Parts: sequence; structure tokens; C-alpha cells
Amino acid sequence: MWKTVLRRFLVMIPQLFVLSLLIFIMAKFMPGDPFTGLITPETDPNVIEELKIKAGLYDPWYVQYYNWITNAFQGDFGDSYTFKVSVSSLIGERAMNTFWLSLLSVILLYAIAIPLGILAGRYQDSLLDKGIVLYSFISYAIPTFVLSLIFLFMFGYHIPIFPTSGTVDVSHDPGTWGYFWSKVYHMLLPAITYALLATTGVIQYLRSEIIDSKSMDYVKTARSKGLPISKVYTKHIFRNSLLPIAAFFGFTITGLLGGSVFIETIFGYPGMGQLFISSIASRDYSVITTLVMLFGFLTLLGSLLSDIIMSIVDPRIRIE
Amino acid sequence: MKKKNWFLVSMLLALALVLAACGGDKGKESSGGKEKEKEEEKVDASAFPVAVENNDEAIKGGTLQVALVNDSPFKGIFLAELYEDAYDDKIMAFASNSLYDTKEDFLISDKGIASLKVDADNNKVTVKIREGVKWSDGEPLTIEDVIFPYEIIGHKDYTGVRYDGDFKNIIGAEEYHAGKAKTISGLKKIDDHTLEITFKKLSPAIYNGGDGLWGTAAPKHYLKDVAIKDLIKSDKIRKAPVTLGTFKFDKIVNGESVQFVANEHYWRGKPKIDKVVLTTVPSTQIAEALKAGKYDIATSYSATNYDGVKDLKNLTVLGRKELAYSYVGFKLGKFDSKTGESITDPNAKMGDVSLRQAFAYAMDVEQVADEYYSGLRSRSNSLIPPVFSAFYDDTLEGFKYDPEKAKKLLDDAGFKDVDGDGLREDKNGKKLEIKMAGMSGDDKDEAMMQFYLQNWKDVGLNVVLTTGRLIEFNSFYDKVKADDKNIDVYMAAWGTGTNPSPLGLYGRDSSYNYSRFTSPELDKLLAKIDSKEAIDPEVRAKAFKDWQIYMAEQAPVFPTYYRTEIMPVNKRVKNYNKDWVNATDLNVLELTAEEPIK
Repeated sequence: MWKTVLRRFLVMIPQLFVLSLLIFIMAKFMPGDPFTGLITPETDPNVIEELKIKAGLYDPWYVQYYNWITNAFQGDFGDSYTFKVSVSSLIGERAMNTFWLSLLSVILLYAIAIPLGILAGRYQDSLLDKGIVLYSFISYAIPTFVLSLIFLFMFGYHIPIFPTSGTVDVSHDPGTWGYFWSKVYHMLLPAITYALLATTGVIQYLRSEIIDSKSMDYVKTARSKGLPISKVYTKHIFRNSLLPIAAFFGFTITGLLGGSVFIETIFGYPGMGQLFISSIASRDYSVITTLVMLFGFLTLLGSLLSDIIMSIVDPRIRIE
Repeated sequence: MKKKNWFLVSMLLALALVLAACGGDKGKESSGGKEKEKEEEKVDASAFPVAVENNDEAIKGGTLQVALVNDSPFKGIFLAELYEDAYDDKIMAFASNSLYDTKEDFLISDKGIASLKVDADNNKVTVKIREGVKWSDGEPLTIEDVIFPYEIIGHKDYTGVRYDGDFKNIIGAEEYHAGKAKTISGLKKIDDHTLEITFKKLSPAIYNGGDGLWGTAAPKHYLKDVAIKDLIKSDKIRKAPVTLGTFKFDKIVNGESVQFVANEHYWRGKPKIDKVVLTTVPSTQIAEALKAGKYDIATSYSATNYDGVKDLKNLTVLGRKELAYSYVGFKLGKFDSKTGESITDPNAKMGDVSLRQAFAYAMDVEQVADEYYSGLRSRSNSLIPPVFSAFYDDTLEGFKYDPEKAKKLLDDAGFKDVDGDGLREDKNGKKLEIKMAGMSGDDKDEAMMQFYLQNWKDVGLNVVLTTGRLIEFNSFYDKVKADDKNIDVYMAAWGTGTNPSPLGLYGRDSSYNYSRFTSPELDKLLAKIDSKEAIDPEVRAKAFKDWQIYMAEQAPVFPTYYRTEIMPVNKRVKNYNKDWVNATDLNVLELTAEEPIK
């Protein structure tokens, strides 16, 4: 198996290379440049020209690409044009915010979706099942920004029980208990919103797997051996039904860093999704290219992880 | 079947709720057809107060809650010499290092920390700072701190945008920048509180803080150990800046919020409130947040969302004229980057003055200002905003909506409808298609542009959009700057800053002169405005007037709107005045309740 993993990693290199080339060229195709937004009558156009020359924006694209990729190999992704800090420290900061928010979202997501999926499958066609299916369709149909806005105005302003923007209250000192709690408190509403919206897939997979499993031979065998029905569910059906969810788990883990553009923007939560959108708007090339490379790498890694996880939970599958 | 219907209804309800939540009164404006209703909706922009009126008893101390309206995190570069993002500037305003105060027309007064004496004959100015002024860490302000910013900006490792043509006007700045000199020879320290600066030449702009004079101090004792190239990343300006202003930085959550506390060393006296907490608020939330009493003031508020705050009992809405104007420009030539000059093409499609004037007269700017901006934009008559009272010419007619006049101008100039399709042909009888570039923004921009297109059609001008639709900000300026041949006319706006001199926007060698209109006459008029004789305010006012009249006659660009900036303020705020001239210092601001009024 390790051989396979190594091979998969080696295949990633040309994949990432092609991705980097594509994204670099496409980014340069965008109209404008990082300095366009700086223009006011009080900025000297000659200064802007000089800055552009200094930043190498007039070099041919392959020269720019070569400079960028050689530095990137040494772990130097350059400085952000707008934030004026190194791209790695900028992304590092945002990635932490997004990571914690996503982690809480995913925990909430599974905490909501798994019980609902099991119940729906077990009591198929009951009123409960129909209610759960209805909920999952509604949550699937509502666009993210709509529910985010509704929740924000409901629980942020009309019944003000949650904070409405930011990741932490400024009055707390880092490292204190109050600071930690404030962080969690700021994450709750966006995380709940995200979790409620993303449950559909898990519920539907789990429900149909359980319904399928119910008529399987091994279930009949277990029942005929005299096992109580609840034990059949927890020991046999549940484990087998989780397989499709496990298949996605690798993507879920790496997706933790991707962030959600809508949720982060609406809740004013500075994370990766928001950084991605704002860096595109401000033509912050160094940030755009690094982020796309990172997302690309995470996707490839996610699929590899999923395969590994599958081989662990399902002994029938072997990576060769 | 029944169930399904119920489901549909609930979805519709949910949708309606959302639309109501974010749409505001938009629907009303487009459908409210009755004339009378429209009359009531229009507001008189000049009726906004510039100061709050609050006679309640103030509480002791208190925390001012400020909303920084921004859809992305702030950058957090808290040094006037280095920041580039306007939001950083808004944050720094609470702890400003600014040296000079200004009076009418943004001329430097002697009420600030520093005063200015100009010796125009010898191209010298003397800057004198008050004694006893201290930094927020208790260190005294010395003249070294006034010189230090020049050494930052002029340094060869400086990466910001402020080492510009103006800065090079200081004698010795270029030698210092090239590394040939250790200091800037034009800066001469007289004593601990006096500095003499020698310039290559002086113009009236010196009184507005132009010509290369720098307006803020930087704490040399605190920053001197940081190499200039590392300064921008340094925690000393990002996490713990030392400042001169009313409040001082206490805690900063990067990109999100800042807590200021009262600066006990503030030279005008310790402020009456204890703290200022500034929080980033997305623009979608700001109206609701102000209504819910979460914030006392917002750093900006979009005029198109005026409906969201206009009837709220817990707020006073202040308003003042912005230092900006919107305009329409005609492409009349090209910028030659080799010689660095605009070259006007006499045969340009819009080269005929009558055509340009007719184009302007055909636009019903008044109606758009009232309908789409509920009066928060007003038709402008000049390229100088009225805030500059000494230079603004209120007698100019401007291009008042007059379709008949437009038609007559076109008829007289020979633009006639030859083939009878309702659209005019050019002087030679060939089809005339005018390509208009506009910037995309919200849905109102689209509607306004359609309205104008109809306006022009009404007088027989066939105007179509470049690329067929409105253009995104970056592409728009890329095309306008590159003199794209698919642009004959464009709609844009300029913020003027506090120095009203038009040379940088309309000069022959300015690349911002996007219309590319030049003439010897214009050169003369512009030179006059910034000439040495114009240091005499009367001469300068006259020069401004002549220029405005000339621009109105030639109409290479013509102004469309002035903008009114609105500032909602919670009713618990006392002693707060945002007038351009008489603004109060933050140290007298008081609060009359423990929490913002809901």
C-alpha cells in the first residue's frame, strides 16, 4: 500500500505543475493589476509605473512564472500586494480561522445528520421519516446566503443572542479563558448555519444504505440468531451503512481549509474563502496563485486520504 | 396534493422575507408611479445637519462603539507614510499623527500641533511645532519626529506610493533616494522645535499641504531601530503603534477590530470618554446594526441605502458634501507614453464641441439624482466641488437638462437625420454610433444607464454600450487608460482630495487626463492656477474661475453629480461635529447613556 501512496504523491507533481501554469496564466489574463485600485488624483502615475516595474509586472509571463515557481519551491510564495505581509503568514492566519470554524461545522454536521439518517432509515415511511426527508430537501434547496442572512438577522439582531461579525471580541487578551470562549461563541452561528445546510448528502446516503441493508441476508441471519433489533442496527447495519460516508471523509478533512465564501462574507468572518474572493477582486496575484495551488493540493490529498480510509474501514478494498 | 401546496406557500413566504430583508424599499421606487409620492421621497440634501444636537447630561467616561463598514478585513498598516488602504486611514483617524489643522478650503491653519510660515521668494517654509506635545508613550515630540517621515519616504528601500513628483520637489530628496547623501539637504533643523524646508519651487498648493510638504509626524525614538524595508511588516506599526492623537491603540485583532483607550498625554487634553471600540461590519449588516443600537457611528454609509436609516428614532443622520464629483468624459485623443504627453486628435468622433455640449444637455441628470439617489446626489455645474468655497464658481450654468437645446445644437452643427430612421447621422451623412463605457456596480447603475441611453435617443443620438454591458471596475480603467478605440465616451468619478489644483487630472503630461484633451489655452490656464502669483488668493480664485469657464465651453469632460455623504449617529453621542471646517476634536465627544440607544 505504501508503494501506492508514494506513487500517488509522485503523480501529484506533474498535476500540480500543470495547475500552477494554468492558474498563473489565467491570473495574468485578468484585466487590471494590484495597483489599479491605488489610483487617486494624488498618486503620481510615474510612481505606480515604477512600482509595477519593480514588481516585475512588465516582464514576459514565462520570466514571471519562472521567478515565482523557483521561489515557491523554496517555500517563498512572495508578499501579498495588498496586505504587505508574506503570503504564507497571511494564509496561515486565515487558515487557522477557517480550520476551527470548519471543524466545528463538521462536528455539528455529523452530530445532526447521522442520528437523523439512522432514524429515517430505521423508521422508513413513518411520519418521522417523512419529516426528516422534507427537512433535508428544504435545506438542500435553500441557497447558503439566504439562510445565512435569515439566521444573522434573526439571531444576531432581532433576538440578539449571537455576535454578528468577526472571530473574537477585541476586549479579551489572547490565551485567557474568555478569549477562547469568545472565539467559540463567534463561530457558533456560522457553524450551525453551515451544518444545517450541508446535512442532505449524509442523511440521504445513510437513509438509503440502511433501507438497503435491512433486507440483506446478513441482517436476516443476525435476526434469526436471536439478536435484538437495536443491536442489529448498531452492530451490523450502522457499520456497513457508513461506508459511503467514509468514502467522502478524506475530502471532508481537506475541505476544512477551503472555507465557505458565502458564510465567511456574510458573517464577516475572515477566513480562506473570503481571502480568496477579495484577493481576486484586488488582483493580488501572489495570494491567488498560492491559494489555488493549496486548494488543488488539498483536493488531490483528499482523494488519496479517502482511498486510504476506505481500505481501513472496508477490508474488502485493498490499494494495490 | 394538499401537502405540496402548503410547502410551496411556505417557500414563497421564506423568499418574500428575504427579499424584504435585503431589498428595502427598492420596489417602491420603481413601481410608485404617482408624482406626489415621489415628491415626498425626495430629500433636501442641504437640510442635513453637520453636527449632533444633544443636550442631555453626559455620563462619565463610556465606550464609543464604531462600525468600520468594510466587506473584507482591514489591512492593518498603521503608519501614515506606508498605509495604502483607505480603511487603515479611517482607523488611524482616532489616533492621528497629523501635524496641521486646516481651515476653509483646507488651507493649513495655526491651530494644530505645527504651524507653517511660507517664504515664497526664497522657496522656503518654516515649520514650528508646539512645545510640550507628547507621544502616547510619554516621550516628547521633537523636530526629529517631523523630519523622520521624510527620511522614510525618501529612503531607497521605501516601497510605498508617496515618493512622487511632489516629494522630489524638496531639495536633496533625489540625492538621498539614490543613496548619494546621508540626509536630505533641503531639511534644516533650526532647533528642537523648528524646521526649515527648502523646495525647488513653491506654488499655492503649499498652503494645502502640497508641493512635497508632509503632514504627519512619526515616532523616531520608537521606530529608528527598524530597517526601512522591514518597517511595513513590523509589529511596531501593526500591533503596537505609538501615536499623537486623541486615543491610543490598546488591542488589535488583525483585520477585524481595534480597541482604543484615552491618550492621557493628548496635547489638547485627555478625552472625556474612556474607550473607542472599532469593529468591522459587512455592508449588508450596517443598517440593521445601527437600528439595533450596536454602534454609535459608522465610518461610512452608502447613499443608496439611505432608506435603511432615514426614519429611525435612535439615530441622527448627519450629512456633508463629499470631496468628489462624477463626470462624463469624451475620448478626444491618445496618450503617447514615449513623450509622456496627451495628443489630441482634431478628427476624433466626439471632436465637435456642439456634439459634446448636446450630449450633455440631453442627459436628465436632475431626474436621476432625485429618483435613484433620493436627492443625495445633486446635479453639478463645475469640476470643482462646492466645498472649496473660494475656488468654486456657483454662477456657472452647467448643462441643465434641455433636450430642445441639444437638438438645436445638433441641427446647427450639421448632425441631421438623413435616412429617416430617427437617429442622426454625422456631418458627412454617415451613420453615427457613439460607444459609451460605464462602470458596473449595483442594479441601480444598470437602470440609470438605460435611462440615459433613452435620453440620448430622444435627441436622436445613437449611443450604445462598449462591450454591450457595463464594465467591471478593473477592466473599465484598463480600457479607459489604454485609450481603447471602442470608447468614445465614458462615465466615471474623481475624488479630489484636499488640494483642488486640477493640473494632475487635466494637464498635458498627466496620464490621468483620460479625455486626452489639450490645448495651449488650457496649458496656460492650468499653469496660472499653480503659478507663484497665484499665492495671492484673489489671483488664484480668478485663475480657477477662468479654467472652469473654459472647461464648460470646450466640454472635453462635463460634471454630472456632486455627492452628499451621510453619516448616521446614535442619539447618545454629544458634541460631535463633522463639518469640513468646524469639525470638533474627538476629545470633547461625550456620551449620554451607558449603551447606544436602541
